[in-house]
Amino acid sequence: MTESPLAARAGLGLRAPHLDEVAATRPAVGWWEVHAENFLGGGPARRQLDVIRRDYPISVHGVGLSLGSVDGPDARHLERVRRLIEWLEPALVSEHLSWSIAGGAYLNHLLPLPYTEESLALMSRNVEIVQAALGRRLLVENPASYLRFRHSPIAEPDFLAELARRTGCGLLCDVNNVYVSTQNFGLDARAYLDALPPAAVGEIHLAGHARNEAGGRTILIDDHGSRVGEPVWELYRRALSRFGRRPTLIEWDTEIPALAVLIDEAGRAERSAGLEGDAHAA
Amino acid sequence: MLTLRELQSEFRHALLGGVDGEPSGALSAEMLADGLSPEARLGIYRHHVVTTLTATLKGTYPVVARLVGDGFFAYAADAFVRRHPPAGPCLFEYGGGFAEFLVSFPPCRDFVYLPDVARLEWAMNAALHAEDAHAIDLGSLGGISAEAIATVTLRLDPSVTLLSSPWPMERIWRANQPAADAEASAADAEATIDLRAGSVCLEVRRLGDDVIWRTLPSAEHAFRSALAAAETLERAAHWALAVDPSFDLVGAIHAVFAEGLVTGFQVSS
Repeated sequence: MTESPLAARAGLGLRAPHLDEVAATRPAVGWWEVHAENFLGGGPARRQLDVIRRDYPISVHGVGLSLGSVDGPDARHLERVRRLIEWLEPALVSEHLSWSIAGGAYLNHLLPLPYTEESLALMSRNVEIVQAALGRRLLVENPASYLRFRHSPIAEPDFLAELARRTGCGLLCDVNNVYVSTQNFGLDARAYLDALPPAAVGEIHLAGHARNEAGGRTILIDDHGSRVGEPVWELYRRALSRFGRRPTLIEWDTEIPALAVLIDEAGRAERSAGLEGDAHAA
Repeated sequence: MLTLRELQSEFRHALLGGVDGEPSGALSAEMLADGLSPEARLGIYRHHVVTTLTATLKGTYPVVARLVGDGFFAYAADAFVRRHPPAGPCLFEYGGGFAEFLVSFPPCRDFVYLPDVARLEWAMNAALHAEDAHAIDLGSLGGISAEAIATVTLRLDPSVTLLSSPWPMERIWRANQPAADAEASAADAEATIDLRAGSVCLEVRRLGDDVIWRTLPSAEHAFRSALAAAETLERAAHWALAVDPSFDLVGAIHAVFAEGLVTGFQVSS
């Protein structure tokens, strides 16, 4: 994959509490990622984004296309996302390996799929529909998971690799999700990263997670509510040395802190990328 | 083994089903127990779905939440989410049916004005996120013949909602604002709100980046409600004159244009 123009910088998720401050102060942030679904109406949010996009590259991250739904992407929603992307001309567009819609209900969660040939054929078809509608390549993100299906014979990174091979889509490697899922299932996070095809990886996500006790076990929850954990930073360095430098996003969605905290985290990601990613390039 | 369609349908039921949300035997059988029961694993997903959608509703209905208290709001929201999950992924569009739900929610039966508070808050939310549209001026109607003008329908700005209530909504709303309006709130809170203070007609819209609302005389409200319902100018005039025989039609037409409320029109032959 040709190196993205965003690769040297870390980006931040643009969230409602920071919109005014970002539009007014133009902080030194490499790029912003917006959730498509937050900007599909009109009004002040859209106007502020129109100001911000003039000064920064934008990445559009969808949470609602439900690529894993048996009914396929909702045509009306896909058209709204298409118009948003036509307007924003983002540097990157991404979605998830998951489903959220069943029987016309949007369940507001990135729900797990069994990794089977049936799911692979469905995901491939839906990714192709979306890529054709948007006229561009999609990055597909690995989810954080809290359950596995009994009949799920394909390992998640292999499933993603095959999805990329069949559809030409890229991958968004959420290193925190890799950590959370592999910890929750007693799997090897480094082996997971090693199984992803480096050339397909077009973006990396980093976030904090929570530790919950459930039924006498510790379950990690991908809550995006704290600083990136040390084990995840360590895994990020591993990802950089394997994939090379990639546009990296800090996500923070609950208990959103002051913008300065997010900028500090982005700085740490950039320093890691400078050390590990450049070593990879050389 | 379930097909993927069956699995997603069962999963949906397990997330939104009865209060316990017990997964079906068929769904449990699909899951690896893996040290934690299928029920506990599904519970992690259910917790996220219900708490995030409850937070969305609370963000849209802060005055309803304040009136009933956080605990009861969470209880009502939980029931609403299970019966009326979002139809699409844009959460700023979620919750339009909450007022109707409250009407029929038995614990709220005696809280007679609560649904109207919800209607006002929904109108404010809808105004905030409505598509941007450009207003046209009265001169745009210049080419229409005198006979045809009665058959014109006007398209109002997408942010506009017209509401009426038998309760003094504007006072209830103001008395339940957080710190910003502390003074007005305190004054209103001290004076008991007389629920028989009379009905009120409201117009909610966005102006620039701000959502504003104001009370309208009832004939004016009837006129604009007719326009919003895509009635012709002639029919809208009838609606208004039925409310108030001295209704100033020409002034009312000038006003909707002058206030930037009209974004298009159609001459219906």
